[in-house]
Amino acid sequence: MSAADIAAIFQGAIVTITLSAIGILIGLPIGLGLALIRWADVPVLGRIVALYVSMLRATPLVTLLLLLFFALPNIGVPMSPVSAAILGLVMSTSAFNCEVWRSALMNFPKDQYEAAQSVGMNAGQRFRRIVLPQIVPVSLPGLVNEMSLLIKVTPVLAVVGVVDITRAAVRIGAQTYEPLPPFLVAIAIYVPIVFALVSLQRWIERRQTRAEALA
Amino acid sequence: MAETNKVLDVAGVSKRFGANEVLSDVSLQVDKGETVCVLGPSGSGKSTLLRCINWLERPDAGQIYLNGERVGINNAGIVMGDRDLSKIRTRIGMVFQHFALWPHLTVLQNLMEAPVQVQRRPKAEVRDEALALLAKVGLSEKCDAFPARLSGGQKQRVGVARALAMRPDLLLFDEPTSALDPELVGEVLVVMRELAHEGMTMVIVTHEMAFARDAATRVLFLDRGKAVETGSPEKFFSNPETERARQFIQRYAGDVAGGRR
Repeated sequence: MSAADIAAIFQGAIVTITLSAIGILIGLPIGLGLALIRWADVPVLGRIVALYVSMLRATPLVTLLLLLFFALPNIGVPMSPVSAAILGLVMSTSAFNCEVWRSALMNFPKDQYEAAQSVGMNAGQRFRRIVLPQIVPVSLPGLVNEMSLLIKVTPVLAVVGVVDITRAAVRIGAQTYEPLPPFLVAIAIYVPIVFALVSLQRWIERRQTRAEALA
Repeated sequence: MAETNKVLDVAGVSKRFGANEVLSDVSLQVDKGETVCVLGPSGSGKSTLLRCINWLERPDAGQIYLNGERVGINNAGIVMGDRDLSKIRTRIGMVFQHFALWPHLTVLQNLMEAPVQVQRRPKAEVRDEALALLAKVGLSEKCDAFPARLSGGQKQRVGVARALAMRPDLLLFDEPTSALDPELVGEVLVVMRELAHEGMTMVIVTHEMAFARDAATRVLFLDRGKAVETGSPEKFFSNPETERARQFIQRYAGDVAGGRR
């Protein structure tokens, strides 16, 4: 395995990280938005969101990607591999995130919310100042879990032609007839990425406990 | 009773949950400086009445006026949106049975949150006033503590101070001592008595009969969603007009006669 091969795997790592980061950053707020629509029980929209979420959670990501990449151009929506990958990741992760946010919202104490209403906070203030700061720490473990699942599922993006870490490793293995080294490199890259994510979560949680302990 | 003195006017309010009529045509006027205790057996609609006053619960019928201004319905006769409703709620404080403090904020932050965020008053001024309120309820040393570190009685005193920090025209208490251990009830009642003495206008849903007898300027007795009786506590407790009230008082007789609190 040459230096160029290793460089190719790192190239794949950049693709994996970039697409994952985009999926996470867009999927988080969309998931929250969907959860809020369901929480507020918005008449028709709430039902639509519930249906959307349960369908997406049941759809394998590979199937979703193939649908986006091959079927959408058929009805006149042009789709590049990267846009299909991003759209697929965002749709899927936002559905799972929605459920994490929603369970935190459902468990939010009603009287705390009413207390915010009773002092005249409007809906935006109630959410920003009272609800959000409390549901973030509650949702964080579930969200980080979903984030690392998302990173680990990125190899399926290969079905639409995106060259990520794993795809790059497969190619090199096929060329050199030595699959072991490229796959070891691939794993050596995945582990620190997910580890970094989990460390971030631990750090945030520690900061919270410390803030509470100081009180 | 001069018309200008009327802080709260509840006119014929009704509310049903499904087939269950919780309030039926209840009216109540409260003058400035009055302490009205709402009494009645559980399920008689006391809390619902209180929650209808600040529209946490939307009444099915009837009107509510705060200082002559309609609550919940705007001048065009349409149900108020969130912003208008929020605005009028800033003038009605509420104290909750289970305190409902915000656990992610310190005691001082709990008091300052709404005056700063909602009323947009200067932080320094709000802070001074909040510290004065904490001193008043005897919790100065707890200002930087988080609510989880407080006893029930302390939490509820913070709850009262938080409501007062908005400088409301009217204060609603929803069974403020029901969730407390008996030995902690007194410290909350002391604060409420002091407020009554200072002339704060209050509507208090409570089961503390001794408090109602001593501190209330008027008592409203609800039974099965109806306002059965209203009058001075002396008259209500010694010579009630209705059989239902008589039975109710009898059940709590020990409490009143003993004057335990």
